[in-house]
Amino acid sequence: MTLIIAPPTRLESALAYLNGLLAGSEREVRELRRSPDRLMALVTAPLLTLVFLAIMLQAGREDLAPFAVLAPALLVLWQMALQTSGDTVESERENGSLEALVVAPAPFPAVITGRIAAVTTVSMLGFVESWLVAALVFGVRVEIYHPWVFVGAVLATAYATAGSAMALAALFVRTRAARAFQNTLTYPFYILGGIIVPVSYLPDWLEPATRLVFLSWSSDLMRSSLDAGPVQGVALHLVMIVLLGTLGGVVGGVLVRRALAEVRQTGTIGHA
Amino acid sequence: MVGTRLPRGTTARVVLASSRNAWADLAATFTPLTWTLGWLGRIVAQVIFYALIGSLLGSPDRMRYLYIGAAVVATAMETLLVVSTSTRERYSGTLPLLVASPSRLWPVFLGRSVQWLPSGVATATVALFAIGPAFGVRFTLSSGFAAFGVLVLVAITTYGYGLALAALVLRFMRLRNWATNLSYTVMMLICGVTVPLSFWPVWLQGAAQVFPLTHTLHVIRLLEGGTGDSLTILTSLGLAVLTSLGWYGVAAFLLERLATAGRRRGSIEFAES
Amino acid sequence: MQYGRAVGSAVAVVGLRREFGGRRGQPVVTALKDVNLQIPEGEIHGLLGPNGAGKTTLCKILSTVLLPTRGSVEICGYDVESETAAVRRLIGIVFGGERGLYTRLTARGNLEFWASLYGLSGTQSQRRVGQLLERLGLDQRADTRVETFSRGMKQRLHLARGLIGDPRVLILDEPTTGMDPVAAQEFRTLVTSLQTEGRTILVTTHDMAEAEAICDRVTLIDHGSVLATERPSTLGRWITRYARVRASGLLPAQVAPVTAALSGLDGVATVHEVAEGTLLVDTAADGAAPAVMRLLLDLGITDVATTRPDLAEVYLRVIGNRGMRVDR
Repeated sequence: MTLIIAPPTRLESALAYLNGLLAGSEREVRELRRSPDRLMALVTAPLLTLVFLAIMLQAGREDLAPFAVLAPALLVLWQMALQTSGDTVESERENGSLEALVVAPAPFPAVITGRIAAVTTVSMLGFVESWLVAALVFGVRVEIYHPWVFVGAVLATAYATAGSAMALAALFVRTRAARAFQNTLTYPFYILGGIIVPVSYLPDWLEPATRLVFLSWSSDLMRSSLDAGPVQGVALHLVMIVLLGTLGGVVGGVLVRRALAEVRQTGTIGHA
Repeated sequence: MVGTRLPRGTTARVVLASSRNAWADLAATFTPLTWTLGWLGRIVAQVIFYALIGSLLGSPDRMRYLYIGAAVVATAMETLLVVSTSTRERYSGTLPLLVASPSRLWPVFLGRSVQWLPSGVATATVALFAIGPAFGVRFTLSSGFAAFGVLVLVAITTYGYGLALAALVLRFMRLRNWATNLSYTVMMLICGVTVPLSFWPVWLQGAAQVFPLTHTLHVIRLLEGGTGDSLTILTSLGLAVLTSLGWYGVAAFLLERLATAGRRRGSIEFAES
Repeated sequence: MQYGRAVGSAVAVVGLRREFGGRRGQPVVTALKDVNLQIPEGEIHGLLGPNGAGKTTLCKILSTVLLPTRGSVEICGYDVESETAAVRRLIGIVFGGERGLYTRLTARGNLEFWASLYGLSGTQSQRRVGQLLERLGLDQRADTRVETFSRGMKQRLHLARGLIGDPRVLILDEPTTGMDPVAAQEFRTLVTSLQTEGRTILVTTHDMAEAEAICDRVTLIDHGSVLATERPSTLGRWITRYARVRASGLLPAQVAPVTAALSGLDGVATVHEVAEGTLLVDTAADGAAPAVMRLLLDLGITDVATTRPDLAEVYLRVIGNRGMRVDR
C-alpha cells in the first residue's frame, strides 16, 4: 500500500501553527501551576527589590530608587523565559519525547513560541510586585513620568524576550547541557543588559557587546521613562529592541527547523 | 541476644562513607573545566554585578563593601546546595533503606553534601583574592590567610543552617528551590552583605544574629579593613560557631523526626519518587 | 553469634492492623486488617496477591519503616515497635526496580557505604563486600559505576546490599519486577541458595510461577486480609483445575446468545465481555474448561485460548465466597 500525503496548503499550515501555539501556551500555564520552581523568580523578586532598594537608600540615593525597582522586574522576565526555553527542551528530552514532539503535526517552533508567550505574560507580574513592595515596605513610590514610553518599552521587551528565548531553545536543542547553560546565561547577561547599572558605567571595550543584548536597550529606555526629564531616542531604542528580538526569533526558528529536518533524516537529534 | 549498640566509631564511618557519595556527585556534575568556566564564571559575574552598583553610587567604598559581601555570600549560597543534594538523596529512593538500617539518619545526610564546602570556599577565594583587587579589595598576606580560614568557617557554619533547612524540606520536597533561594536572598538582605546591619530596625538586626554568616562576614570585613582587634574577631567567630552548632542540632533533631514521623504516618515509601 | 530469643518463628504477626489517613477529615483507609502470620526459621515464604493487596504495607511494617496501628509483630522474638534497634540488625530488605542504589558510585562503593551503616569496621567491611561481590557474580564489575549496570546486575547488587548486615530475615518486595526472564531465573536461584544458610526469606510477588518456583509456603493476601497459607503445589493444582477461557472475535450480534449459552453450562462461574467481541469465561469445576471450549467451537468461534486464572479469584471460588469482589 502506498501512502500519499499531499503537501499542506497555506491555510492548513497556518492552522497547524495556531494549534501548536495554543497547545504550547496551555501546556505552559499547566506547568506553571504544577511546579513551584517555575514561579521561583516571582517568589524571590520582592526580596530582591528590597535588596537593591536598601543599597540605594542606605547610600542616601533615593533618586536611584527607579533603578532598584526596575531591576528585579527585568530579572524575572529574563529568568522565566530562560527557564521555559531550557525546560521545554530538557524536560522533553528527559521524557524521551523530544524526538516525538519535533515530528508531531503541530510545528515545534509554534509550541515553543506558545509556551514562551504564556510565560512572558505571567512574568509581567514582576513589575507589579517590585513597585508594590517598594511602596509598601520603604514607602518609595516610583513614578512613571512617561507612561506611553514605559508601556511601549515593556511590550517591545516582552516581544524581544520571547524572540531571544526562541534562540535559547535552539541552543538547548543542540546541546546536552541545557541546565548548565541556564545557569551561565544569568548574571553575565544581567551585567551586559544593564539591568541595574546602566551599561555606560561599564568599561568602554564592553560597550559594543552590550549593544547586542536587547536588555541594554530595554533597561535604558525604561529608566528614561521613569525620569522626569525628556526621553531621548525613543524610536531608536524601540527599533533596536524589536530588531534584536526579531533576530533572535528568526535565527532560533531557523535553527530549530534545521534540527527538525535532521531528526526526520536520522531519527535522533544531534547534540554537541 | 542481639546487640542494639553499634560499634564505636560507626557514626564517623557513616559520615565518611556518605561523603564519598558527595565527591562522586561533584565529579559527575563538573569537570575542572566546566567548574571553572561555568560555575566559577557565573559566581564571579554575580559578585561583579553587585560591585558595579557601587560604581553607580559613585563610591569606591560602597563598591568594595558590596564586592566583599557578594563574594562571601557566594560561599554561603553554595553550601546551601546541601538542600538540593539532600532531596536528591531522597529522590534516589534510599530513605526506607536508611531508616531500616541500624544507623541514624543524620550522619548520612551530614556527609552527603560536603562537596559544596570546598567548592564554595574555592569560588569565594578566587573572587576575593584574585579578582577582588580590581575592585579595591586589599588583604595583607597575614590578613589574607586569616580571611581564607574564616571562609572555611563560613562554609562549615552555613552548612549547619543548610542541613537544618534540608531536613525541613525533605518533607516538602517540591519547595526545595524556594527554600534555598529565599534563604539566600534573606541573607543577602539582612546579614550585612549589601548594607550594614545598622540600616535595619533593631528586631531585624536581632534576627540576623541567628545566621552564622552575619558573624563570619563581619570578621572578613574587619580583616580586610585592618581594623579588627582580636577580641572582637574572636567574639564574632565564637558567635558564628555557637549559632551554627544550634543549627546542626536542629538538623539532627529534624532528621530523626523525619524517620519517626514517617514511620507513624506511613510517608516513607518503598518505591519513592 | 547468637541471634534471637525464641527458637521457632522468625516472623510472628498477630492481629496486625494498619490504617492510613483520618487526619483533617481524610477518610480512613485500612491497608491491613487482622493479619496473622507465622513463618518458621529457614523457610522461604511467599506473599502472593494482586497489586494493592497490602503486601508492601506488611513488608514495610516488618522492616520497621512503618508502625502497626494495632497488633504485634515480632522478628526472631523482637518487637518491631519497642525493640526496633534489635530488629534492624536482624533484617535485610530488597525491593525491585532501579531505585535505592547510588548510581554514581561503583558496586563496591555502594556496598561499602551500607557496610558502614551496619557498623562494620574497615577490614570487616572489605572482607564482607568482597565475599558478596563474588558470591553474586559482580566481582568482575565491582569497580564500575552502577549507572552502567543492566537491570539484572542492579538487582543482584540490591540483594548484596540486603545481605550486607548478615540478616537472619530477608524481606524481598517484588524483587524481580522488570527483570527479563533469564535474569529473574538467575535471581531465584540465588535466593534459594540463601536458604541453605538458615536465613528466613519473605518474598512478595504477584507471579504465581515465581512463588511456585522458590517458596516453601505461600500466603495469599488480598484487600488487607490473609486468605490462606498453603504449599505452592496446592495453589498450583487449583489454578490448573479452574482454568479461564478467552474467546475473541465475536460479532456484536453473537455476544448475548453466546454469553447465555456459556452461562448455562455446568461449572461455569462467570462470563464477562472484557473488550468488544471478547469474552472471558471463568470455570469453577473440573472438566468445565474443555466443555466451554467445545461449545465455543460448535458455535463457530475459533479464536479461543485458555489462560491461568487470577489466584485470588480462584481462592474465593474454592472457598465459595462469591460475594466478595476482587478488584485488580
